[in-house]
Amino acid sequence: MSQAKAADGALIELVDIRKVYQMGTTEVNALDGVSLRIERGDYVAIMGPSGSGKSTLMNIVGCLDTPSSGSYKLRGIEIRDRDDDELARIRNQEVGFIFQTFNLLSRADALHNVELPRIYAGRPKTLRRERAKQMLDLVGLGERTHHRPNELSGGQRQRVAIARALVNEPSLVLADEPTGNLDSKTGLEIMALLDEVHRQGNTVVLVTHEEDIAANAERIVRLRDGKIESDQATTRVRRPASPPPQPAAPAPPAT
Amino acid sequence: MTPLPRPRREFWAAQGENLRIALEALRANKLRSILTVIGNVVAVMSVIAVVAVIDGMNTYVSEKILEQGLKVIYIDKFGLITNEDEFRDALKRRDLTLLDADALKRQSRYASDVVGQLETNKRVHAGKVELSNVRILGTTEGYQTVGTYDADQGRPLEDDEIGKRRAVCIIGSELAQQLFPVVDPIGQEIRVAGYSLKVVGTVAARGNVLGQSQDNFVLLPFGQYQKMFGPHESITILMRARPGIDLERVKDEARVILRARRHVPIGKPEDFAITTSETYMALYETLTKGIFAGTIGLVAISLLVGGIVIMNIMLVAVTERTREIGIRKALGARQSDLLSQFLSETVVLSLFGGLLGVLVGVALALLVRLATPLPATIQPWSVAISLLVASSIGLFFGVYPATRAAKLDPIVALRQE
Repeated sequence: MSQAKAADGALIELVDIRKVYQMGTTEVNALDGVSLRIERGDYVAIMGPSGSGKSTLMNIVGCLDTPSSGSYKLRGIEIRDRDDDELARIRNQEVGFIFQTFNLLSRADALHNVELPRIYAGRPKTLRRERAKQMLDLVGLGERTHHRPNELSGGQRQRVAIARALVNEPSLVLADEPTGNLDSKTGLEIMALLDEVHRQGNTVVLVTHEEDIAANAERIVRLRDGKIESDQATTRVRRPASPPPQPAAPAPPAT
Repeated sequence: MTPLPRPRREFWAAQGENLRIALEALRANKLRSILTVIGNVVAVMSVIAVVAVIDGMNTYVSEKILEQGLKVIYIDKFGLITNEDEFRDALKRRDLTLLDADALKRQSRYASDVVGQLETNKRVHAGKVELSNVRILGTTEGYQTVGTYDADQGRPLEDDEIGKRRAVCIIGSELAQQLFPVVDPIGQEIRVAGYSLKVVGTVAARGNVLGQSQDNFVLLPFGQYQKMFGPHESITILMRARPGIDLERVKDEARVILRARRHVPIGKPEDFAITTSETYMALYETLTKGIFAGTIGLVAISLLVGGIVIMNIMLVAVTERTREIGIRKALGARQSDLLSQFLSETVVLSLFGGLLGVLVGVALALLVRLATPLPATIQPWSVAISLLVASSIGLFFGVYPATRAAKLDPIVALRQE
C-alpha cells in the first residue's frame, strides 16, 4: 500500500504492452509493444485510424482490460494480472470514463447517474447525494438534477457524464470520442468544459480520430497497427509548470 | 503483487440501490412481472387458503362432532365400511339384538348406560302437512345419556312409556316448526308408516353438521318402533363411559363381552363393529391429510414451474440490460454488486408474487367463511412460511441469471446496442 502511495513516478506507465486476440486460428496483435508515460496533470490525445489499437489501448489504460504481456502501472499500482473485482475497484477509484454515447442509465435521473460511482465506492446515501449535487452544479446542470437522460439534450447528457466521471476524484479522466455524437457547436462547449476540467488539475486522456478535437490536448500520441507512430507536443501547452513532454518516443519519420 | 488498498464500503449503501433498482424494474414491467410470478401466486394462494379451510374444518369438526359423542361408543353390524368387500362380509354377520344390549348392561363395569336404538328415514304426516326423509329413531331407556335431547317444549319420553311401548314421541325443533307452524305441537298427533304417534315434547335446536340438520327427527319408544317396522333389524348399541373411565377400556370390555356371548373363536375377526367419535376423527384426519398432501404436490409443481419462468424472465432481463451492466461495471460495480442486484430483483419479484398470493388466498378463505359453515381462519404461520418459500424460490432460481450478469465482460457489454 505504502509502496503505491510512495511511487513518485508517472501517473501512467506502460512498458512494452502487448495484447493478443485469438481470432479463430490466427492471432491478432492489437497492441504490439506499446510504451508510454503520462504524467500527472497531462492532457494527452490518443489518435489513430480504426484498427490501429487505440480502443484496445484505451480499454487497458481504463482498466477494463488487462494486457497479454508488458507492465502497466497506474499511480504506481501494477494492473496486470489483477482479477475482476480488483479492476472494478481501480476503475471506481482511479478512472473517470466519458463515452461517445454518454452511457447514462436511462431509467435514472441525472443526480442518480452522477451518484453511481459513489454507490459502488460504498458511500452513505446522504453524503453521496450532496456530492453528486455539487458535481452537477459544477457542470452547470444544478437545475436539472431530476431530469432523466431522455429529457436532456446531447450536450447536457455529456455534462452529466462528465460530472459522473469526476465524482470520485479519479486520478485519470478518460474521454472516448466525447464529441462524436454531438453537433459541432455543442462539441466545442464540451471541449471547453474538458479544458476546464484539465485546468483544475485533472489528468485527461482523450481518444479521438478528429484532428481539431485532438488539438485541444497538449500532446498527441498517434497509433498505427498496434504501435506508437508518433508522440508530439502540440502548440497548446498551457501549463508550463507541468513536467516537460516526454522525449522517450521516437520522432516520426519526416515526410 | 501489491495488494490493493481496500476502501471501506458501507454494506447498506449498495443494498438500498439494489432495492431501488428492483422496485423500479417491477414498476417498469408491470404486466410482465405479474405473468412471471403466477406460479408463486398459485402456490402461496393454495397454501394459505387450504390451511385456512382445513383449520376451519378442524374447528368445526371438533365443535360439532367430537363434543356431542365424546364419551360414547357405538356398536353395530357394519361400523365404518370403506369398500365393497367389507360390506359383503358384514352382510353375513349375525344381527345385534336387545339381548346383546342387555348382556352388556348386566356385565359391563365401565359403562354407566347402555342404550339400544333403531333408525330409519320415513315420511311423516301431520294433518295436511307431509314431510319426507325424516329420521325415525326408536330407543330404549336412557337415551338422554347418550345424545343431546334437551327439552324445548313439553317433556322427554318417560321410562315407563318406553317400557310399555306407548305410541308417543318427541320431535326435533325443525320438524316441529315445519309440521306445526301455528299450533302448539304438544299433544298433537303425527302419522308415521300408518301409525299415529302423540307428540309429548320437542327437543331444543342442535344445529347443522356438515349441512345436515340435526333437528329433523322423531324419537319414539323402541317397542313401538318394532311394532311399526318389524322386529328383524340389527340394532345399534350405544354405551356411555362412567366418569373418569377411558373410552378405550369401555371398548375393550364390550369387545370381550360380545365375543363371548356371540361365540367368536379366538383369532377370528369379530362379527360386530365398535366405533367412537375418534374413529370418525381418524377417518377425518386421513381425509385432511390427503387434501394437504395434494396441496403440497400442487404447490411444489407451481413453485418449480414458477421458478423456471422467473429464471427465464431474468435471463431476458440480463440480456436486455447488458449495456446497463456494462456501464455499472465500468463505474466500479464488482461481480458481487451485480450478483446481489439481480438476486434482489428476483427475490423482490417472487416476493411480489407471494404477496399477491397472500391477497388471493386470504380472499378465498374469507369467501369460504362467508359461503359455508366452516370458520376458515388465516393462519399467520402459513403466510410466513409460504412467503419464505416463495422468496427462497426467487433466490434459488435467480442465481443463474445473476451469475451471468455478474460475469459479463464490461468491454463486450458496453459495445452492446
